[in-house]
Amino acid sequence: MEIAYALKHPVRLELKLQVQGFTVLLGESGVGKTSLLKAIAGLIPASGQPFSGLRAEKRPVGYLPQHFALFPHLRAWQNVAFPLAHLPGPARKQKALAYLELMGIAELAERYPRQMSGGQQQRVALARALAKEPQILLLDEPTSALDMATREEVFGGVLERLKSLALPTLAASHDQWLAQRAHRVAVLTRHGLVQQGSAEEVFTRPKRLEVARLVGFRNLWGGVVLRLEGGWVWVETPLGVLQAARPDWVQAGQKVWLGIRSEEVFTLDTPQNRVLGRVCQLRWQGLRLRGQLVVGEVALDFLLPRYKQTQLGLTEGQQLEVALEPRFLHLMPAS
Amino acid sequence: MDDPAFWQTLRLTLEVSLVTTVILLILGLPLGWVLAHKRFWGKRVLESIVLLPLTLPPTVLGFYLLLLLGQNGPIAQTFGFTWAFRFEGLVVGSVLFSLPFALNGYREAFRSLDLDLIQTARTLGAGWRRVWLEVILPITWPGILSGSILAFAHTLGEFGVVLMVGGSIPGKTQLVSIYIYDQVQALQFGRAGEAAGLLLAVSFVLVYLVRTLEDVWRSRMP
Repeated sequence: MEIAYALKHPVRLELKLQVQGFTVLLGESGVGKTSLLKAIAGLIPASGQPFSGLRAEKRPVGYLPQHFALFPHLRAWQNVAFPLAHLPGPARKQKALAYLELMGIAELAERYPRQMSGGQQQRVALARALAKEPQILLLDEPTSALDMATREEVFGGVLERLKSLALPTLAASHDQWLAQRAHRVAVLTRHGLVQQGSAEEVFTRPKRLEVARLVGFRNLWGGVVLRLEGGWVWVETPLGVLQAARPDWVQAGQKVWLGIRSEEVFTLDTPQNRVLGRVCQLRWQGLRLRGQLVVGEVALDFLLPRYKQTQLGLTEGQQLEVALEPRFLHLMPAS
Repeated sequence: MDDPAFWQTLRLTLEVSLVTTVILLILGLPLGWVLAHKRFWGKRVLESIVLLPLTLPPTVLGFYLLLLLGQNGPIAQTFGFTWAFRFEGLVVGSVLFSLPFALNGYREAFRSLDLDLIQTARTLGAGWRRVWLEVILPITWPGILSGSILAFAHTLGEFGVVLMVGGSIPGKTQLVSIYIYDQVQALQFGRAGEAAGLLLAVSFVLVYLVRTLEDVWRSRMP
């Protein structure tokens, strides 16, 4: 489904967006993600396709706000039955129960929202949105009201169910975890929609510095292209001259940004891009060890799996040499 | 109570209070909604005007109403009817004087309503009628009811405005609070005491009801 919308208030925004399968609209707060969803749902004035000119209650859209907006005075099944007002009583309840079943929570049918956890409320709200049989599902920050620690457990199942429905879904989020699991990612910044494509493409090959930051590149340095040779390019950076894969737009002498993900800073025995520094700021993040390698003025962020630390036994202050695999060094034009 | 005039006065008082409460409901609900959720130029002026009866001496409000509704007032001259010293005059005065009490209740009820609920209801296919009947009113009714009860109780005990605009004509515009005053003036302390005791009891029950509703309402909020 193609979405082309323009809105003026509360943010000025104009964009064209492909929604295929589960699509995440990735962006920081304040760039207009929520406003765009509301505009598509017909809740704030905007012009665009599809659904332009229809009032909110006539649009074939399932909309889920950040805190799910379950009606507090209605039981779970009554919430789901809300959009089914055209059906007679018994059929209405039956259909509502079927949608609760679809979300795997038939046993919660008689509960009130305040008697349910956040994850359960979300499933009820999804069942309610689906009961309307919409052409597109709009989710506003679907993971932000959930506990980070149990997100995988709580939302993972929901995500699989949503994906299996083959219903175009647009989720506005700043959550990289969610974006990595999407079919498609569109990145929205203050400058508008700057990149869209498959999740793999956006996460590994961000087109601009701001996209790279959004998709989790912690190591980004400015540099100047020294020379090109075959499929490779050599760039002068604060870490020294680094070899990287050659994108088709690059020219000798050009200013560029160079980035690498923390989890792709390896301790390999390759001859290229060796960097020697001092280890500091070691801390465990779950089962992985995060730290920094200080090289002159620059700090290189790295993330090691647990087994690697068992082998290396890193301590703060020690010297360490890492290799930045040229294929994983990503180049972006400096604009 | 041995005074037949008292029962007539009590009945009139209840009638005025009831009619006032219904009118406040009709006027106050939309006004409360607008004040809770809309932004517009001059909103603070409007808010100040509707709150004015809280600080204004009742005689001041009553005086202006008397000028407005009296025999030589602009309404009589334009439309040809006089509401001073009549039931209608009592109701107009009471509506204005109890407006802040009703409105505060309505506005707070609407203000604490999560607007996401309304927007979501609309995306689920509900028009404005269903949104009001199935979402807004079922969630906010304790606040609306408590605002109405407060307005009713406040009208029951009103004195200055109804004295100015109604004139305390026994059987026609005399309300219980004025009845008590008149009995005291006539040194009928027994009658005054009985009437005062009744108003005290009724007021307590009504305010107790409001407090109970507030608790009900809080427990319903998610």
